[in-house]
Amino acid sequence: MNPHSLTRRLLCAAASLTLSAGALAVAAPGAAAQDSEVDTLLVATDQEVDTFNPFKRRFIITYNTSIMTYETLVRMGADDYEPVPGLATEWSESEDGLTWTFAIREGVEWSDGEALTAHDVAYTYGLLIENQAIHDWNIDFAGNLVSAEATDDATFVLTLAEPAPAEVLSREVFIVPEHVWSTYEDPSADDANELPLVGSGPFQVTEYQAGEYLRLEANESYWDGAPGFDEIVYDYYAETDAAVAALEAGEVDIVNGLNPAQIGALESQDHVTVNNAQGRRYVSLTLNHGAVTQDGTEFGDGHPALQDPVVRNAMHAAIDKQALVDTVLDGNGDPATSLIPKIFGQWHWDGGGDLVEFDLEAANAMLDDAGYERGDDGVRTMPGGGERLSFRFFHHADNTDYATIVDFLVEWWAELGLEIEAEPIEQATLNDLAYLGEFDIAFSGWGVGPNPTEQLGMHTCAVLPTLTDGSERSSENSYCNPDFDALHEQQKVESDPDARAELVKEQQRLLYTDAPVIWLYYQNVLEAYNHDKVTGLRTQPADGGMITGQQGFAWAYLEARPVDSDDAGGTSVWVWVAVAGAIVVVAAAGLAFTLRRRKTADERE
Amino acid sequence: MTESTPSEGDPAEGPEDATTANGPATRPSDLATPADGASTEAPSARRPAGRRGRVSSGFGRYVAKHVGGAAVSLLLVLFSSFFIFRLIAGDPIDQLTRERPVSPEERAAMRAELGLDEPMWRQFWDYITGTLTMDLGDSFQYRRPIFDLIVERLPATLLLSGTGMVLAVLLGFWIGARTGWRQGSRFDRGHVATGLVLYSAPTFWLGMIVILVFARYLGLFPVNGMRSPSTPPDFWSQAVDIGHHLVLPVLTYTAVVYAGYLMIMRSSILDELGGDYLTTARAKGLRDDEVRRRHAVPNALLPTVTLVFLALGSVVNGSIITETVFSWPGLGRLFVQSIFYPDRPVLQALFVLFSSSTILAVLCAEILYWFIDPRMRRSG
Repeated sequence: MNPHSLTRRLLCAAASLTLSAGALAVAAPGAAAQDSEVDTLLVATDQEVDTFNPFKRRFIITYNTSIMTYETLVRMGADDYEPVPGLATEWSESEDGLTWTFAIREGVEWSDGEALTAHDVAYTYGLLIENQAIHDWNIDFAGNLVSAEATDDATFVLTLAEPAPAEVLSREVFIVPEHVWSTYEDPSADDANELPLVGSGPFQVTEYQAGEYLRLEANESYWDGAPGFDEIVYDYYAETDAAVAALEAGEVDIVNGLNPAQIGALESQDHVTVNNAQGRRYVSLTLNHGAVTQDGTEFGDGHPALQDPVVRNAMHAAIDKQALVDTVLDGNGDPATSLIPKIFGQWHWDGGGDLVEFDLEAANAMLDDAGYERGDDGVRTMPGGGERLSFRFFHHADNTDYATIVDFLVEWWAELGLEIEAEPIEQATLNDLAYLGEFDIAFSGWGVGPNPTEQLGMHTCAVLPTLTDGSERSSENSYCNPDFDALHEQQKVESDPDARAELVKEQQRLLYTDAPVIWLYYQNVLEAYNHDKVTGLRTQPADGGMITGQQGFAWAYLEARPVDSDDAGGTSVWVWVAVAGAIVVVAAAGLAFTLRRRKTADERE
Repeated sequence: MTESTPSEGDPAEGPEDATTANGPATRPSDLATPADGASTEAPSARRPAGRRGRVSSGFGRYVAKHVGGAAVSLLLVLFSSFFIFRLIAGDPIDQLTRERPVSPEERAAMRAELGLDEPMWRQFWDYITGTLTMDLGDSFQYRRPIFDLIVERLPATLLLSGTGMVLAVLLGFWIGARTGWRQGSRFDRGHVATGLVLYSAPTFWLGMIVILVFARYLGLFPVNGMRSPSTPPDFWSQAVDIGHHLVLPVLTYTAVVYAGYLMIMRSSILDELGGDYLTTARAKGLRDDEVRRRHAVPNALLPTVTLVFLALGSVVNGSIITETVFSWPGLGRLFVQSIFYPDRPVLQALFVLFSSSTILAVLCAEILYWFIDPRMRRSG
C-alpha cells in the first residue's frame, strides 16, 4: 500500500470539496436565474405563520397575508386611514344606528374565477355570528352583531344590537368565498389553511415553506387593475443583521425593523432607500396609583404617594422626553403625549395648553407645596413625616433602550428627592407582577391601531378585574374615572368623525392630566428598500408613512412596480474571479504541503 | 482540555497487544463531554485470568446494566421536562395576545383551546401518555401538532449538522493525529493555535464575518436560508441550490467545532508516543508515516469512539446558533423561537428529543466498547 495514500485521499477529498463548493457558487446563481422573467418582490421577515385563517389571526404575518389575499367592505385609506370604498362602493347607517346597508361592488371575481356577491359577504359575517369558535375569538365585535343578510346579489344588510359606527367601518372583516369555505367541516380550524388560498385581493398565498419562504401570487384579474409584480415572497431572515447584508447584496428587496446603526450603514448604499416613518407604537411608564377590582377591593402593594396626582404630575414634569428621543432612539421618534400616536393625526391629542414642560424646579415646588418634605438623606417623606418616597422601578431585562431610559429617569427623579430602586426583570415575570399590582413604576408599550376605541377601552371601569389574582388582564392600569367612561360611550356611537375626534381628544386630556400612565415617546419605524428593483411603494399615511406596517389594505404592494434593469449578471465576473482565486490558493497550498510531506518522509526513511 | 505527555502512556503494554487495545483505560462514562474525553487514568489492574470463562453471561449483564441506566435517565428526562419549563414565569396567553387588547371572554376561549384550563395532574398525565405514544400535542405559537413541526424541520437539521459533524470529526482526527505525532513542531503549534482560536470564537460573530466576506462582498454564496424561492422545483436545481446555501453554514459549524476533535485526537496520540510497540514497529523498518497510520492511530482511536457517538447524538440537537445566524429552517431555530415565545409544549418535546438522542448514542457507544475494548470483557 502506498504510504501516502491516506494523505492523498484526504487531500483529494478536501480539494474536491472546495472545488464543488466553488462550482456551486457559480452554477447555483445560474440555475436560479433561469426564470428571471417572473418579477418577484422579496420582503424579509422573521415571523412564521401559525394560521392563514383571517378570523383567528394573532401574528402580524397572518395580518399581512390577509390584507393581500382577502378584502374588506371598507378600507382604511392610504392617505390618512379614513374609510374608503373597498368591496362596498357605498354604505349607509339607519337613524338608530342599528342597521347598516352596503352596496357590494359588481363584477368582482374570486381568484378561482367565481363571482363575488353579497351572499359571500353575508356568509362571512354569518360566521362571526354563528360559528362558536370564530365568535369567541372576535367577541368584542361579534358580540354586537344580530344578523347579516344579503337582500340581493349586490346589497348586504348588517344589524347590530347597539350602535357602533366606528367599529363597523374600521373592523377588518376579511370577506371569504362561500363556495370554498362552506365545504370546510370547521371553518374555524385548519381547513382554511389549504393552499392556494382563494381570495379577492391583489395577491393570494400559494406556497408556504416553514422558515424558508412564503409566496403570494398576483391576481391578474384584480378588479382595481393587476399588480405590478407577479409575486410577493416573504423570505425568512432570523437575524436583522443578516437581512441587512442580504439587502446590500441585492438578495432581498425590502427590510423592516431596523435599528439606527443599521440605517446608518444602509444610507451609504447607492441602491438602497431608507424610509424613516412615524410608528404606531408608544413606550410608556405605568404608575401604580392603587390597583382595585370592580367592587372596589384594593390589592397589590403600590407606594401610597403614587395615589396622589401631584406626585405623579411632578414626576411627569421631571422627564425630558425630547432628550430620551435624542439619546435612546437617536432622534428617530417623537415625544409622546397620549396613547394615540402622532401618525393618527385625526385622533392624536398634542397636549394643547396642558402640555407638561420639563421643569425640575416647578416639579420640586409642586412636591414642596403638597407637603412632601425632604428628610436628612435628601429623600422626601409622606406629608406628616411618614414613609419615605422610595419607589421600585421594574424594567424589561432584555431591552437595552429601557435600561438607558432608567438611567436618565433615576437621575432626574433623584433631583426631586425621590429614591428609585431600578430592577431589570424578565418580561413574563414583569407582567405577572404588574397585573398583581406588586410594583411602583413599570414599563409598558403598545402598538396602536387606527381605531382609538381599543386603546382607550383599556382605561375604562368596565375592564377592571373582578379577582385579585392578576389573571384578568384587560385593564392597563386599574384606571377608573366616570367622566372618562361617559366620554368613551359617547365616542363609540358618534358617527361624525370631527365630533368623535373632539371626544377622543378630551379622553386623552383626562388621562394626561390624571397621569396614571406617562407616555414617553412614539418610536419610528425604520425600513429600507432596493430602489433599483422596486419603485412606486405608496406609504400609509401619505405624509411620513410606512411601507411594511400598513393597515387594512396593502397599498404599497398593490402599487409597487418593478424597475427595468439591464445590468443583470453584474456579480458573475466577481464570482469567476473569486472562484479562480480560491482554486489557485488551494492548489498552491496542496502543492506546498505535498512537497513538504515528501521531503520529511524522505528524511525519516 | 488535558494534554498528556508521552511518559503518561502505559509502558506495561507490550507490542504484542498493539493490535488489540492498549489505550488509556478510560471508562465510557468518563467521556461524557469532549472536554474530559482525553483524561487519562491509571489503567485498572488486570483481572485474574479465571474470569475469562464468563464472557457470555457477562455480556448480558453488561448490556442489561447499561440499558437499565439509559432507561432511568430517559424517565428522569421525561419527568423533569414537564416541570422545568413550567418554571418559566408568565401567562402563555400574554404572548398570544401581545400588542392586542383582549376581552376576558377571548382570553378564556384561548385558554380552553390550549388546554390550560385543565388541572395540573391532568396536564401531566396527558403529557406523559402523549409523549409515550408520539402524540406530542400542539404548539402554542403555531397551533399545529408538534410532531409535524419536528418532522418538517428534522431533515434540514440533519443535513447541516450531519455534514458539519462528519467534516469536523474527519478534519479534527486527521489534523489531530499529525499534530500529536509531531508535537512541538511548527505544524503542531500552527494547527493547535488556529483550531483553538476558531474554537473559542463566538459562533454568532464568526457566522456574521463569514456572511460579510463570502456572501456580502465576494457574492459567492447566498446570505441566508436553505433554498431560494425562485429555484425551479426539479430535483437537480433544488439539490444544487441547497448545496449552494449549505456551504457557509457548514463552513462556520465545522470551523467552530473541529478543534475539539483535534485536541482529543492529539492527546490520544501523545499517549501512544512512548509505547514500546511503536519502537518495535520502527525497528521492523516501517516508515514513520506507516508507524503512525498502522500502529499509533488505531490505538489512539479507541478513546474517541464515545466522542464520535456523542457527536452522532448531538447531530439531532442541531447547532442552534449556526441555524439562527443563517436562518436555516431546522430544529435549532425552532428551539430558539420556542424559548423566546415561550412555547412550553415545543420546548418539552425538543428537550426530550435532544436528551434521548444523546442518551441512546452513549448507550450505543457503551455497548460497542464491549466488542472493541477487551478490558470491558475481562472486568465483566
